[in-house]
Parts: sequence; structure tokens; C-alpha cells
Amino acid sequence: MIEHTQGYDALTNPSDAILSAIGIEHSYDGKTNVLSGVNVTLRQGSLVMVVGRSASGKTTLVKILANVIKPTRGQVNLKINGGHLTRPIAYIPQHLGLVRNLTSLDNVLMGALGYTPTWRSLIKKFDRGVYDKAMDILSELGIKDKAEKKIWHLSGGERQRVAIARALIQNPRIILADEFVAQLDVITAMEILEIMKKLVQRNIALLVTTHDVSLVRKYADRVIMMNKGNILDTHDASQDISLEEILKTIQ
Amino acid sequence: MTTIVVGVLGALGLVSFFHLGLFDLSSLLRAASNLRQFILETFPPQFEILPALMHAIWETIQISFAGTLLGLFLSLPLAFLAARNLFGRWVAGAVRLIVGGIRTVPSILFGVIFVIAFGLGPTAGTWGVALYTVGYLAKLYYEAFEAVDVEVIEAVKSTGCNRLQLFRFVIVPETANTMISQLLFMFEYNIRASTMMGFVGAGGIGYYMVGYVQMLQYQHLLTTLILTFLVVMTIDYLSLRIRSVITVAKN
Repeated sequence: MIEHTQGYDALTNPSDAILSAIGIEHSYDGKTNVLSGVNVTLRQGSLVMVVGRSASGKTTLVKILANVIKPTRGQVNLKINGGHLTRPIAYIPQHLGLVRNLTSLDNVLMGALGYTPTWRSLIKKFDRGVYDKAMDILSELGIKDKAEKKIWHLSGGERQRVAIARALIQNPRIILADEFVAQLDVITAMEILEIMKKLVQRNIALLVTTHDVSLVRKYADRVIMMNKGNILDTHDASQDISLEEILKTIQ
Repeated sequence: MTTIVVGVLGALGLVSFFHLGLFDLSSLLRAASNLRQFILETFPPQFEILPALMHAIWETIQISFAGTLLGLFLSLPLAFLAARNLFGRWVAGAVRLIVGGIRTVPSILFGVIFVIAFGLGPTAGTWGVALYTVGYLAKLYYEAFEAVDVEVIEAVKSTGCNRLQLFRFVIVPETANTMISQLLFMFEYNIRASTMMGFVGAGGIGYYMVGYVQMLQYQHLLTTLILTFLVVMTIDYLSLRIRSVITVAKN
């Protein structure tokens, strides 16, 4: 049974963990487990990369941590005291989950729906401060000039930035991103990960799943290696592990 | 096996044909003679009555237009409640039952019901067309709503928005082109339904058609049919053009 609690289990988690998942099991059909007793902790201001082949359970794990789906068994603890303008966890799915028919700005403003009164949001009357913040974030990410462009007019890298902006306007303490740079060319992927690296310096915790092991050593503070629903190994200093070792582990 | 099925179907067909009088030679000859007489009396059409019919055909177009719009306003909340990706099985199931019930009622019966309620005239016809529209449009819409990418829904839901906000910011923008396209198709289709409304005194050109049949004025009937045909073809063409523009924009 999952509990997204404000408290946290001091016996099973390190003291600086802001998110911990303990004994997570999940099955979509009630027969086969896609996750089998996974334990994950996330520390403030760190970039954790989860690597694994397709169908290793990465996406399911991220969805459970983001509270998008409930695990069959296990517990997710969140140790965050956010204000009323804060969503502790922002979630960016594999294909970004942007509304293609709306503009970049509209998509970013959607991140503020959780703390905007329903009637005001329905007539798109967000607070001036929210608008300004959305524009500031777009500007910071270098796509202010694309604010009024609809999503389908944007390139892959620009869409990625819009998704990050929608996450940031939620004032999150944690961002969970699934296969975040999978569809980008190497240069754009590195640009996006540089942005993510800067977010870590603001004390945001990041968990990014990827099947591209080459990115891990350069960007991850910590690497979690998964295969067939299990965590096989974790390394706190990803620089200390070679690509060959990672590939061998997740094979 | 195939031979048995073909044999049984053939036998059933023969029994039905016989029972329905399709093998009654004298009846067939009499019908052919009557039809020949009818066709002779129908030609040529009398276009001098066209000015008098213009008011009625305009009323038919208005009934169709207003009925479709009214149907749209009634369909939206029902489709919202009937979408299983927005509401649970029970709510969606109950609303679908209502929509299904509305769909089983023929448009002409709605016409009769509203003639009883409002009296003879186009108001009854408009409500008849509106209810008829609800049965189909609500179904088309909830099916479109359910086809929205689940990843987009999950991503926006994770911002903490409620169902109404999700509907406003995800479902409507993502399905807008489909909704407009189906609305135009319904308007096009409702021109025929609105013609039928006149048969039961609920306004429009159908009232003249029935009148000419009853008074054996077949040349006038043919003129009315030609006018209706031209209007239907023009609206079909315009609607097709608009829908193709929408489809191009969508792709």
C-alpha cells in the first residue's frame, strides 16, 4: 500500500533523503511483476540517473514516484514542507506530455493550475505574478520569443525546454523526468542536461531515466542500474564507474 | 458449412420475399403502372413556386443550425461525464446509458414529442433536432475525449489540476479539430433530419412536401425535392471544404 506521506521513515532512509521509495512492487496484469521490491532514495540537490534497457521498469518506477500510478506493494515517502504555491514533485513524461494545440506560454501556465482557483483558470485569468514568472522562466531557458508559438511549431529541444518550464513554474523540490533526452540529437541532449545540472545547484533533486549510458558519467551524481524490474547496482560517484561496467550490469 | 449457411440464408430470403408479397405478379404490375403514372404527373417541375418555398427552406436551414448548436451545448457536459479517462466507470456508464437511450429515439418521434410540448412550428423542430443531435454528438465527443494521449493527461494531472481544468486545458484543445469537424458533419446531416420535422408539423420544407403529396401536386413536390437537393448538396460541399481545411491544419 503506497503512502505519499509528509513524514519519513528514519530507520530505512538516509537522513538527507527527501524522497524514498521502499519495497516497491508493481504489476499491470496481476501476474507479472514489472518492479520487484525496488528501493530508491533521492537527496536534495542531486542528479540521479536511472539506466536500463527497454522494459527494465524505469518508466513504471518514475510514474510511481510521481504518484501518477499506485504501486501494487511498497511505500513512497516524501519529506517536504512546501508552501501553497509549491508542487513538491514535477513530472515530465517520456514524450513530454505537452498540449500541441496550445502555445508554449499556455503549456507553462498549466503548471500553475494546481494553485490557481478553478474559475479563474477556466477563463485563463492567471495572476499577473504567474504570467511574469512563466515569461521569466521561458526567458531563462532561452525561448521567450517562442512564448506565443504553438507546440507543433517548435523543435525537439524547444519542446524539451517548455516541458522544463512547466515543471519549474510548479516550484518543485523534485523533478522526475522519464527518458528525457531520448529523442534529441547529442548536442541538444547535452544542452538540456546542462540546464538540468544548473537546476541541481538550486537545490532541486532530479531523477532522470535514460537508456543512453554515455550521458551518465558526465552528468549523473549517482547512477542506478536497472534490469527486469530490479535495481542491480547503484554508484554514488558515477565518474568512478566505466561505461563497460554499466553496460555489463544492465545487460 | 458455408453451403449450409448459404442455403439457410437463401431459404429465409425466399420465405421473407413470399411473405412480403414480392412474388405477387399482379401486385408488381399494378405498382409499375402506378409508378409510371406518378412519374408522368411529376414532370416537369414548376419553378414558379420557388419564391414561396424559399421561406420554408430557409426555416429548415435555421432549424438545422440552431438545433445543432443547441445539441452541441447539451452534448458537451454529457460527453465530459461519459469519458472514462475523466470519470470513473460508474458515472461514465450511467451517462452513456442516457446518451444511448436518446440515440434509440428516431428524430421524427422527437418532433412529435416537441409538437405536443410547444405546438406546431419550428420551435418544436429545433428542439427535436437538438435532442437527436445529443444522441450522436455526445457519443462522438466522448470517444474523441477518450482518445486523447494518456501521457498528456497524466503530465497535466500531475500539476494538481482538477477535472474541469483538465477538460479546459487538455481535452478541448487536443480534440478541437475533431469536435469542429464532427459538428459540421452533424449540421450537414441535420438538414435531412430538419426536413423530416416538417412531416409532423414541426416547421420547415417537409411540411410542404407532405402537403403536396396529400394534394397530389406531384410537380410541386418535385420542385421542392430539387430545391432541397440543391441546398443539401451546397451545404455538404461547404462543410466538406471546411472539414478538409481543418484536417490539413490538424496534420
